[in-house]
Amino acid sequence: MKAEAQLLKGHLDTLLLATLDAGPLHGYAVMEALRQAGGSRLDLPTGTIYPALRRLESAGLLDGNWSVVGGRKRRTYSLTAAGRRKLSGDRAAWREFATTVTSILEATPCPAT
Amino acid sequence: MPSDLISAYLADLRRRLPAGITEEIADGLATGCEHRRALGQGEDEAARATIAEFGDARSLAAEFTRHAPGRRAARFLLASGPAVGACWGAALIAARAWTWSVPPAARLAFGAVLLLAVMCLAGAATSQHSYRRTRLAGPGGIALIAADMAMITAVLTVAPAVTWVLTIAITASLTRIGLAARLAPRVLAL
Repeated sequence: MKAEAQLLKGHLDTLLLATLDAGPLHGYAVMEALRQAGGSRLDLPTGTIYPALRRLESAGLLDGNWSVVGGRKRRTYSLTAAGRRKLSGDRAAWREFATTVTSILEATPCPAT
Repeated sequence: MPSDLISAYLADLRRRLPAGITEEIADGLATGCEHRRALGQGEDEAARATIAEFGDARSLAAEFTRHAPGRRAARFLLASGPAVGACWGAALIAARAWTWSVPPAARLAFGAVLLLAVMCLAGAATSQHSYRRTRLAGPGGIALIAADMAMITAVLTVAPAVTWVLTIAITASLTRIGLAARLAPRVLAL
């Protein structure tokens, strides 16, 4: 796995919640959406996404529902109220963190005295 | 109609995971194959690429097992053991419980139930690849609730007086019963 992907995996829960913010999706569609949004930098194995969706459902952050599409049973996930609150908190925390790190990395060095 | 490769992969998963999870993966595999077929790949090529995308059945089952609600519930309940056990140990010593009149059969039954709870919970908590084994958290939790209730009932029936140390131990057991009952629906549902 690439270094960026490893780093992003640490934020997998938030990425999954953000992907589902636009509306309900099934597991494979979640993975496709993540790939499209992250491009080649985000190469998460599918095998990590399905168990993570179940884990988030078990934690009450996602709601999973079965439907029948094209004769196949399909499980679709959507955000719960708790999931929306978690996503909102994660977004605020990430923005604050990114702002702090950016301000340090892009700071103009002080002139030597 | 799934290809032979997909059918064999799903048969392997069915041996390792609950039906609901396997059905969800089956839909994902079918969707992945359809995408690849639409891009011009042959049936076997599409099936191979989609299976590679999901990873081998053993690793996928291990990932589900790692996140299984039963495994996490079992670890949580086992972790409560030393604290609740210490409360009861201190309370029973302070109350000189060895002088109480408790039938040997009752002591033996209590020990057996507690041992069953620990064995089931330890089995579920340490499962690496077997999702089925994580379901031992269900009977383990029920046995733990039974042991806690038996202990409380015994103390309230046999102890000459309920001291503050015994009250702490009873509260610890009641808290654990509440937590185990709260975790039970998640463990038994998946």
